[in-house]
Amino acid sequence: MEFEPVIGLEIHVELKTKSKMFSNGPVLFGAEPNTLVVPLDMGFPGTMPVVNKEAVIYAIRVSNALHMKIDHELHFDRKNYFYSDLPKGYQITQNLRPIGSDGYLEIEVDGKTKRINIERLHMEEDTCKQLHFNTFTLLDYNRAGTPLVEIVSRPDIRSGEEAMKYVEKIRSIVVFSEVSDGKMEEGSLRCDVNISLREKGTEPFGTKVEIKNINSISHIQRAVDFEIARQSKILNEGGTIAQETRRYDDAKRETILMRVKTDAVDYKYFPEPNITPIALSDEFVDDAIKNCPELADSKKVRYMNEYGLNEYDASQLLIDKDLSNYYDELTKYSKQYKLLANWVNVDINGYLNKNNITVLNFSLKPQELASLVEMVAKNTISSNQAKEIFNKMISDNLTALEAKKALGISEQISDNEFIIKVINEVLDEFPNSIVDYKEGKGRALGFMIGQVMKKTQGKVNPKLTNDLLLEELKKR
Amino acid sequence: MKEYNIEVLKDAANRLLFDMSDEEYQTLLEEFDIITKQMRLIGEDNTLDNLEPMTFPFECTTTFLREDIPGTPLVREEAIKNAGNKTGGQIKLPKVVL
Repeated sequence: MEFEPVIGLEIHVELKTKSKMFSNGPVLFGAEPNTLVVPLDMGFPGTMPVVNKEAVIYAIRVSNALHMKIDHELHFDRKNYFYSDLPKGYQITQNLRPIGSDGYLEIEVDGKTKRINIERLHMEEDTCKQLHFNTFTLLDYNRAGTPLVEIVSRPDIRSGEEAMKYVEKIRSIVVFSEVSDGKMEEGSLRCDVNISLREKGTEPFGTKVEIKNINSISHIQRAVDFEIARQSKILNEGGTIAQETRRYDDAKRETILMRVKTDAVDYKYFPEPNITPIALSDEFVDDAIKNCPELADSKKVRYMNEYGLNEYDASQLLIDKDLSNYYDELTKYSKQYKLLANWVNVDINGYLNKNNITVLNFSLKPQELASLVEMVAKNTISSNQAKEIFNKMISDNLTALEAKKALGISEQISDNEFIIKVINEVLDEFPNSIVDYKEGKGRALGFMIGQVMKKTQGKVNPKLTNDLLLEELKKR
Repeated sequence: MKEYNIEVLKDAANRLLFDMSDEEYQTLLEEFDIITKQMRLIGEDNTLDNLEPMTFPFECTTTFLREDIPGTPLVREEAIKNAGNKTGGQIKLPKVVL
């Protein structure tokens, strides 16, 4: 029997605010345990939640990027449960009126655009971090109260690849809009997948299995594909799917049972009595949207339409937001868009990877690199010389001109008349090479260029020399 | 309905990890008396079932949002002072998940 997977995703995104969602407790990654805690985060009596403005701005930005309707009145609810990860005994969330609703995003799969509908985006607070050992659990409340948005898709996804592309797109949106660092490995973007199978061509959903806390984008595709295969096998053998929660183990490349779900948990939601509804003015919402940094999709269109880059170069620049920002800075100082893109994608990226740093720690100012690229574009230095200068600029913290001088690189000669004169001297001195060239011996050309270089101490523009030599050879 | 007395309030305070003076307990008990009487009065009104429950005593919205400025956190020892079992600055619990 042929089955169709029905997949929906819930993504939690930690917002990179300076303080928590409902308290002024600091938000930092990697601090000593329980050192970023204020009384509200610990649920101490007498404390009151106050909504963080920046978190609301960030939620609006993401909602807008996902083409959602934005609620201009904020309502919060209590989700009640008793567990050690939340000392208040409830989580403040938005159950009845999420800030964003009914949106979508588009992904590219096999060269086709597919729309994934999104049901809701709501704001809430994160729980504390629990470290589980064999016989005990340790609690660190630093994370408790960190602002989150949860993005819930409609069950429109049909494969592991689509699930991965969807998460990649969400990640790109939250990173480029600068609302989150989107680091799955650090838990700032967490993904739960709901997946069921139904007989192809039928409407009713099958029994849903949830895969929790997948912590890398590549794992999403593998986890979903494994789960599709696992459920298909059970159904084809006449079995039934149990409603359960599973986790993905990448070492074993399989999903593993965590717990069997019986009845749905009743969280006894009710409106949060300590936060009255908050009206957001049109101006506030518009400003939040207007001040959102440019997203990757928009940058891609700009790079291709305005700068003439091909899709590959544009996409490469957009893999890393900071790298694309660096490229944008470069374009303020040089119009050599294609050349600049090559430098960023090849030379800078190579240098960053080799030294295991990000572009934020890269010492070369865009203005300086742009002046180096301009020299290459004007043929005053060769590409090889530019690479030497590039390394010297970084190692000795020099400007492009200083590095060029320090390396003793004089300007390339691009004077046609002068080069033709030297070429003819060489041709006169080595008539046998002309014969070799005419007989199709490729080495002869290289030899003659080498002789021109020798006579000019390598100062002539090699490409121009090559072109002019070919012209002169035709005359002989 | 359960009757409130000083012992019940002291027990509740103890469970919430705080304490008050005898005078404060007495004030609180008197307030509970008032609340209990009002609840009884409301309970006698049979038309209430036709009304939507309210979250707030009157319809109100605010526009206030807190600026994103971090404050000074608690000293760690203070923050986890009430925990029965701690290690390395973290609260230690028996494991409850598999």
